[in-house]
Amino acid sequence: MRHRDSGFGGVARWMALALALSVAGIAAAQEPAKAPRKDLVLKGDAVCTRCHGPEDDPKLFEIGKTKHGTVADGRTPTCTSCHGVSDTHVNRPAGVKERPKPERVFNRKSTTPPEVQNQACLACHQGGKRIHWGGSAHATRDTTCVSCHQVHTAHDKVRDKVTQPEVCFACHKEQRAQVNRPSRHPIREGKVACSDCHNPHGSAGPSLLVRDGVNDTCYACHMEKRGPFVRTHQPVQENCAICHNPHGTTTPNLLRQRPPFLCQQCHEPTGHRGQIGRIAVPGVAGPFGTGTAGTVARGCANCHTNIHGTNNPSDLTGERTFRR
Amino acid sequence: MKRPNGIRAFPLTAIAAALAAACGPALAADGDLNELIKPVSTVEFGLGYVDSDNQRFGQYSGLNEQGAYGLLGLDLIRRNDATGTWFRLNGRNLGLDSRELRFEHNRQGNWGYFIEYGQTPRHNPYTIITRLGGVGTSLQTINATPAPYRLDLSTERETFKLGFDKWLPRGFDFQVRFHNEEKDGARQWGQGTNNNIRFLTDPINQTTRQLEVLVGFTGQRLQLSGGYYGTDFTNNNTALNVVGGIAGQTPMALPPGNQSHQFNLAGGFQFTPTTRGTFKVAQGRLTQNEAFIVPAVLSGRGDLGGRIDTTLVQMGLTARPLQKLSLLANVRHEDRHDRTPIAQYNTPGGTQNGFNEPRSFRTTTGKVEAGYALPAGFRVLGGVEYEEKFRSIAPVRVVSHRDQTQEMSYRAELRRSMSETVTGAIAYIHSDRNGSPFFTTLTNAGALGSNLIAPLHLADRERDKIRLSVNWQPIDPLSLQFFADKAKDRYDSRDATANLGPRSGKGDLYSFDAGYSFSEKLQANAWYTYNDNRAVQASRSGTDWIADLRNRGNAFGLGMNVKPLARLEVGADLSHSDIVDKYGQAPVTVLAVGNLPDVTTRLTTLKLFARYAVQKNAGVRVNYIYDRYTTNDWTWSNWAYSDGTRVIEQPNQKVHFIGASYYYRWQ
Repeated sequence: MRHRDSGFGGVARWMALALALSVAGIAAAQEPAKAPRKDLVLKGDAVCTRCHGPEDDPKLFEIGKTKHGTVADGRTPTCTSCHGVSDTHVNRPAGVKERPKPERVFNRKSTTPPEVQNQACLACHQGGKRIHWGGSAHATRDTTCVSCHQVHTAHDKVRDKVTQPEVCFACHKEQRAQVNRPSRHPIREGKVACSDCHNPHGSAGPSLLVRDGVNDTCYACHMEKRGPFVRTHQPVQENCAICHNPHGTTTPNLLRQRPPFLCQQCHEPTGHRGQIGRIAVPGVAGPFGTGTAGTVARGCANCHTNIHGTNNPSDLTGERTFRR
Repeated sequence: MKRPNGIRAFPLTAIAAALAAACGPALAADGDLNELIKPVSTVEFGLGYVDSDNQRFGQYSGLNEQGAYGLLGLDLIRRNDATGTWFRLNGRNLGLDSRELRFEHNRQGNWGYFIEYGQTPRHNPYTIITRLGGVGTSLQTINATPAPYRLDLSTERETFKLGFDKWLPRGFDFQVRFHNEEKDGARQWGQGTNNNIRFLTDPINQTTRQLEVLVGFTGQRLQLSGGYYGTDFTNNNTALNVVGGIAGQTPMALPPGNQSHQFNLAGGFQFTPTTRGTFKVAQGRLTQNEAFIVPAVLSGRGDLGGRIDTTLVQMGLTARPLQKLSLLANVRHEDRHDRTPIAQYNTPGGTQNGFNEPRSFRTTTGKVEAGYALPAGFRVLGGVEYEEKFRSIAPVRVVSHRDQTQEMSYRAELRRSMSETVTGAIAYIHSDRNGSPFFTTLTNAGALGSNLIAPLHLADRERDKIRLSVNWQPIDPLSLQFFADKAKDRYDSRDATANLGPRSGKGDLYSFDAGYSFSEKLQANAWYTYNDNRAVQASRSGTDWIADLRNRGNAFGLGMNVKPLARLEVGADLSHSDIVDKYGQAPVTVLAVGNLPDVTTRLTTLKLFARYAVQKNAGVRVNYIYDRYTTNDWTWSNWAYSDGTRVIEQPNQKVHFIGASYYYRWQ
């Protein structure tokens, strides 16, 4: 095509073009000529955001509000760090009708193997509290990091004490029922969360506990029970969970059973220890026999008050009975 | 915007216009983009009202009294994008006694610190009518006041946390955490002997401190984390002196101060991309040397000299020798050696020899597991776990004891984790526990004691468990979940003829969940859980009798979230639990044995909220909560302490809470 650059129309056309170009040139001075597509959130995300833009997938961009979106930190990943380079997804091969998925897909319908999904996270998050992930109960049951964590959002529910339990209850139904029992930890109020006692990423302790054992975990908040004492109560020193269910119970003080039944699971039926449970009868005033006193009020602990152990060395009578 | 792969030819003037136009819209797009990627700060303040005093609803939140409450929450976030430096101030429930405030400042990947303050109230769920004087102090007087008065007990934990992190070169990092908690208040307590039972309060004035210092290394193959964990417990009340109490039972010892120190090292090493080893070693010492509250005349000691040394060694290996075969092995050894000096504190007699009884434990656990991937996303797993426990033993005992137990568990599981529609698992676990012979219980004089009960945690036991979980998404917006858990325990008694003690246990759990996403603007969910836990045990009181203890619960929940208008969001959440405890006391022989009434407990909570965006970044929220607790629990019914004190539980508690708040967000 030959340009008609003579005559007023031609001059005007070229002037308009020159004007537009000069304006664009000012803007272009702010970015290099023939600049590659601009990253929007993460370094190198342009290859993805050219299709997955803010208009189409605005929620994805919330990653920018998180630690994963802080590009000043040289460790910050980009899209392909987690989802894989995914050449065939970016550049659909000729003759392929349906665009192949990325190398790693993290949604519920993903057929990416769990260990492959998790490797994306473990590439950076293998240390510290996640050292024992491999071989842990969650890892061996094919739990993926994204089963619990939400990466593309400013508010990752599982990392907030108030909303964390509902994430855990997606699988742990028994505990969901138990935290609504009348005797409980303040989980519903967001004062205690599952991760205060458990490390879901794996631990050297039993039941994914944060400390090396049941008692050590309980002592973090209940250190007054640690002792040791002059008079020790054997199951107390061995395992708090022999008598208590920390998730919630109907019996006060998170006891698995009420006295006297709880105590009769270990104690010989000599003297009053084998007593049948009795309630206080309306109209009948105390003092009550040990059958009633061992069932109502604080049960056996009405008399055996220092049931976790006592440091009282006095030598009077019944010293082993935790009454002082 | 999806751009075509092809290139179109445009007339020059059109190109010019497009270039010019490109400047304007680009600026607008940047503004929209910032809204998506910049952190958002929020402040919310308002007023709430509780319509009645209550014992359960506000037990841990501080909303236990009728009246108005200030509602204040904030989440102030600032990030310097150039340096990656964050400031964050997060506060919750600032107008309530359960307030929390945390300030965090860090340069991501370099250093960081935080300061945190929190309060946790706990209001006793009972009302007490008493004449006790000196409540919450270390000197209390029975029937001190001329007339009974109402007493509401509570405790409060005030927590202060400090943390510091520093990322060091070459993959090292350093972390310090300090935690200080003051616990104050009083809780229900008492003393008693021979049907003479007095009401007292446990005076709480305690300080718990924890310090953790960790150094970590994170490399491509090797990760390490080691450091120090130290704790200190201080009780500012060492003894409770009771005026008018039971003779010989004052003073009463309160928990003594104690300290612990532990050094630990944990690590993991990636031998190959599919083989990883982990380990942890820890060595600790716990001491308790609080001065006795009364002279220990016989022993001549001024304090217990309590000392427990702990050692932990754990090693694990996971491997995938073949593409479809995964293996796991783990061994753990824990030694809790109670080195507390043994001394004679009492005149021997009856069932005790007067010496204190240190408690040592040694536990070794080993596990091997193998998994094999089958077609269609299935995987089969099998494993064996072994636990052996040794316990120290005192020469004279009143409770049956054995010094060694061992338990072998076998597990078989079929799992499907990768599927677009159905995933789930079914597992069967069988455990067998036995151990060394029980020691014969003797009295101090060497006479035969009672040797009938095998304690629950020591008895020979066979356990069978089946677990089933199914997740199904029949259509895109609908997800369904089903869980079933059945367990059965059988215990052997020490004396097969008498057959006293724990006999059997059973646990059933069924749960059903459904979630439906009608649209982006309407989601709903529902769930139902049934549990039935049962324990059968026998005892003797002149006649042999059994207790068939049962806890049966039905719980359900419904939830919905709706956005009927662009600016309006409403939600509802209903949960209800109905729990029955049965005691099933019955004779083994023909002699009649009275039963205990069932205890039924019901909890219902309805939460409604509405949020209206007055403008894009600000709006109002209204919350409504209805909470109902009912029970026929007889624990405190018709009971009076020997000093006349009564404890009352409100059997029917209904609370309405309404709150309105204004929120504002900005970037």
